Formats: sequence, C-alpha cells, structure tokens
Amino acid sequence: MNPVIGYTAIAAVALASALIGFYGLRVSRTTSDFYVASRTVRPWWNASAIGGEYLSAASFLGIAGLILLQGAGGLWFPIGYTAGYLMLLLFVAAPLRRSGAYTIPDFTEARLESTWARRVTSTLVIVIGWFYIVPQLQGAALTVRITTGLPSWVGSVAVAVLVAVIVAAGGMRSITFVQAFQFWLKLTALAVPVVALLLILGGGEPPAQLAPAEAFPPAAGPGDLDVYRTVSLMVALLLGTLGLPHVLVRFYTNPDGVAARRTTVIVLALLSVFYLFPTVFGLLGRAFAPDLATAGEADALILLLPGRLVPGIWGELLTALVIAGAFGAFLSTSSGLVVSLAGVISQDLLGGSVRGFRIAAVVSSLVPLVVALSTESTGLAGSVGLVFAFTASTLCPMLILGIWWRGLTARGAIAGMLTGALLSGGAILGGPLLSAAAPALGPFLEQPAAWTVPLAVIVTVLVAKGDQRGIPRGTDAFLTRLHVPERQVH
Amino acid sequence: MTESPSERADAAGPPPRVRVTAPRPGGAGASARPLPPNARGAPTSDIAGVYVRSLIRSQLRLAIVFAAGFAAATTLFVLAIALVPSLDSSFVFGVPVSWLLLGAGVYPLALTVAGLYVRAAARNEARYRSLTEAE
Repeated sequence: MNPVIGYTAIAAVALASALIGFYGLRVSRTTSDFYVASRTVRPWWNASAIGGEYLSAASFLGIAGLILLQGAGGLWFPIGYTAGYLMLLLFVAAPLRRSGAYTIPDFTEARLESTWARRVTSTLVIVIGWFYIVPQLQGAALTVRITTGLPSWVGSVAVAVLVAVIVAAGGMRSITFVQAFQFWLKLTALAVPVVALLLILGGGEPPAQLAPAEAFPPAAGPGDLDVYRTVSLMVALLLGTLGLPHVLVRFYTNPDGVAARRTTVIVLALLSVFYLFPTVFGLLGRAFAPDLATAGEADALILLLPGRLVPGIWGELLTALVIAGAFGAFLSTSSGLVVSLAGVISQDLLGGSVRGFRIAAVVSSLVPLVVALSTESTGLAGSVGLVFAFTASTLCPMLILGIWWRGLTARGAIAGMLTGALLSGGAILGGPLLSAAAPALGPFLEQPAAWTVPLAVIVTVLVAKGDQRGIPRGTDAFLTRLHVPERQVH
Repeated sequence: MTESPSERADAAGPPPRVRVTAPRPGGAGASARPLPPNARGAPTSDIAGVYVRSLIRSQLRLAIVFAAGFAAATTLFVLAIALVPSLDSSFVFGVPVSWLLLGAGVYPLALTVAGLYVRAAARNEARYRSLTEAE
C-alpha cells in the first residue's frame, strides 16, 4: 500500500479533530449546549451524536474482520450492538432521562442515598471506560502499521496523546454537533466504498474469487450455531449497552422522557443502516480476500479491500476515505470516553476543579495506553464484547433494579456489583489459565455473561431483601419522579 | 411551536461564557426540568401512590413482554434459518440466502418492536394522566 495515502488521511483527520476540538468550543454555545439549548436538541441530532460516539473501532473494523474470520458467528455482534438500544429503550431510556442524573454515579447516589454505592459505581465506570479505550488504541496501532508501515506503537501513542491534549485543553466536550457529524462521516466512509465496490464488481471483470460454496461453507453458516456462546454473547451485548458511561450523558440532553424514547428509536434505525456496510465488507472479504483470515490481520480487511479490488487512483482515494473514517472512529469514541471518565474522576477524587479535570483526562488516556502497548490484540470486536460482558454483570443489574424495584438498597447494590465484577472480571482475566487446566470450562469463561449476570442479580436481590430497613427514605418520591410523565406542553 | 427563552437570547447575541462542570443531582441541571405536578416530594395521598405504583407495574410488564417477544421472535427466526438447509445452498449475488437473512433480518424486527413499544408506553402514560387529572 502507498504509505503517502495513509499519512495524508491520518494527518487530515487528526488535524480536523484538533481544529474542531479547539475552535468548535468557541463557535458552539457552550453553556447552553449543556443546560438550556441541550434540552431543545432535536432527537435526530441527539441520535446522530449517540451513534457518533458509540461506533468505535470494534464496529468500524472489528465486525468485518470477525465475519471474515469466523463466518456467520460474526453477524451476531452487530445484531447485539444494535439490539442493546432496544433494551435501553425498554428498561432505561425514559426513566433515566427523568431522573435528572448526569452520570451513572450521580444516578446511584440519588437513588440509593449512599456515598459508598456512588464510589463503587464510579470505580466500575472508570475500569469499564479504560478497558473500552484499549481496543480503540489497538485499532489505531493496526491502522498505522498496515497503512504507513510505521511500527504499531506509533498509532496507539498518537491517538492517546491527541485525545489527552484535545480533552485536557477543553476541546471536544460533549458537543452534540461534532459527535453528530462523526456519525455521518463514519457512515459515508463505509457506504461510499461499499457502493463503489459493488458497482465495480457488478459491472466489470470480476477479480479472482473463491467459489461461493467455498467462501460461505455451511459449517461457518448461521445453521451451525454454538448455542451457549451465542446466547451468552447476546446477554452481554444486549445488557452491556445500558451501562456504557458515554451513552448516558447523551440522554440528559433530551427535553423529556418521551423525547428520550424517540431518540433511542432513531439510534436503533441509524445503527441498523450503519451495520449493513461492515457486514457487506465482511461478506466481500470472504469471497475476495480469504488470505487475510488470520487472527490479528482480519481486522485490517476494511482498510485493504478497496485498494485490492479497485486499481489506480480511485482505489487509493477509497482507501484514504476508509482510513479517515477509521481514525475518526478511534478519536471520537476515545475522546467521548475520556471526557466522561475525566468528569467522574475529577468529581469524585479531585474536587471537581478544572485542573483536576485536566489531570484526570491525561490519566484516563495514559492508563489505557499502557495496557494497549503491553497486550496483543486478538480481535477488536471480541475484546469490546468482553467489556460489554463486564458492564452487563456490574452496572446493568443495579440500574434496572434501581429503576424498577423499590426494595433495592445500597448494600444490595454494592454486593451485586462486587459479585458481578469479581466473577466476570475473574473469568475474563483468569480464563486463559483456567481453561488450559479444564478445557470443558472454556466457553463458560470466554463468554461469562450468561451465568455472571443472573448471579449478580440474585446476590443483589437477596442482600437487599435481608436489608429492608436500609431502603432509602426518598425511594417512593424518586421512583415517582422516574416514571410519572412530564406535564405535556402543547 | 413556541420559541424557547434560550433561542431568543441567542438571537440577541451570544450569551456570556460560563464554566460548566457536570451538575450534581439537585443542582441547577436537575431542577431545570419542569417537574410533573405531583412529583415534588412524596405522593400527596395514598390514592396518588396507588396510581404511581400501578403505572410502574404496567410499564414494567410492558417492557418485559416486549423484551421476551423480541427474544422469542429472534430465536424462531434463527431456528427457521437453521432448519431449512436449502437456504444454505441457494445463492443471491454469490452469498447464501441464510447468511443474508441473518445479516439483515433481525434489524427490522428490533425496529418494529421498538416502534410498537413507544406507542404502548405512551398509552400507559396517557391513561395515568387521565386518571390523575380527573381527580
């Protein structure tokens, strides 16, 4: 691949992000974007912004790679990423908006009236955020290595430093407009190459390809389903979306609960359209680039396929477009996460000052960088899937029970969150060692959500039942506030 | 559509910049939204409490029914794909129909469930509103 394209595309996106980050702040109505006008943000803008922040390296590169590598098993990831918003709509969207909480720790403290429950939630949010940033940095490492030939660490360091500087300097606050723009950039960066590839393949001489029966063997097809793994993955992805720290902030900018629901439905529609394109990329990859189907390389499919199938300058332009989209994905997701993490860290540990926010932003970029540099990516979609499993086992039971069950107490919530964290964290980190000793346990450790989520719920309910005197005094008032519809304004 | 005060202020010129940190519950952000008439403090009467509890119960029942419905429909859909082997051997644009169905078929399902739920949830809230306003 021509390294000039890689350098140009990456530099252009980095520069554009930095400029929008620094100058966008002046253009946007900063305060009102948070407090006043934010409550008049249209559901379409809000939904685009949620999509812009949500679609990460795993969505942009990982899904196509997984379809190439595993076959139809990879199709379940985009289904789960999208249907997670259905669960968010059913159980969380409107009540969470009405709670007036701005972050998940805020919600916990308001609902359970306990500083300790808040601290445990904050710690979990920070851990989840850090491990969600790691795959973004690994995606950047892969992109830089494939497209420029520079060593991988350059990509991780570049994104981490860029995000730390932009966020610490005050740019890229959760400006709705910027994140909304990111969604449409990412969609364009995949849709245009897909349409171009399909037109070229449909019109001209088809290049060398595998026979359909070889490219799509029934053994890797939808019929050959590993039931436990699929169910467990779905539990993780459907319930994990509820607890993502950077998603909740966006719900606050809806005018009311009804608008929060409408926004969520639009997010579902936007994601449904977006995920068709990585899916097509993955299917094309199985037919035209089967040689890329090795762990670690498969995630580069989207970056390499346009150049392989389209010769000359048009191929190079399409490649530049997908590189730009990929870098946009790493930067937008990472900065969205770093902003929410820095907010939580500075509020809970550093007294909420601007200096504290800056320190927290730098720390929140450096910790994931260390983890990304010291580990090897085995697949972007897979590692993000594990973060979802951890979130589903820790924050999801607390959120859902907190919204719907008046018997929840601080002790119950803390016990449940710690149980979920220990079990799912232990399975994810200790899994490789344990499954070498007992191979039969392998699937249960690699996809733990199907048993860790129910256990976390059971522990939460049992401890809370034994602690009925611990029910917060304000429970009835708070639940009323969550569920009673706002006064209608016509 | 009525013009909100903030938009009018912007038309007159940009508002002065103020440093913003995340609002705490009970702070400016939380109290900025209009509270429903009977949500300030505890329910004013037992009747009001009964109405709220029945609203919560019906909304929860609705959410569970729709979640279970989505899970059941997806399971049936996948079973149907798995149990019809001819879908693996018939190709459209060189891709087996079974792959295309799984790759694109669940999204319309999720969207349908979402759209129906939004209507039903709004109906529950309208019923609650008519009960409390009739008092």
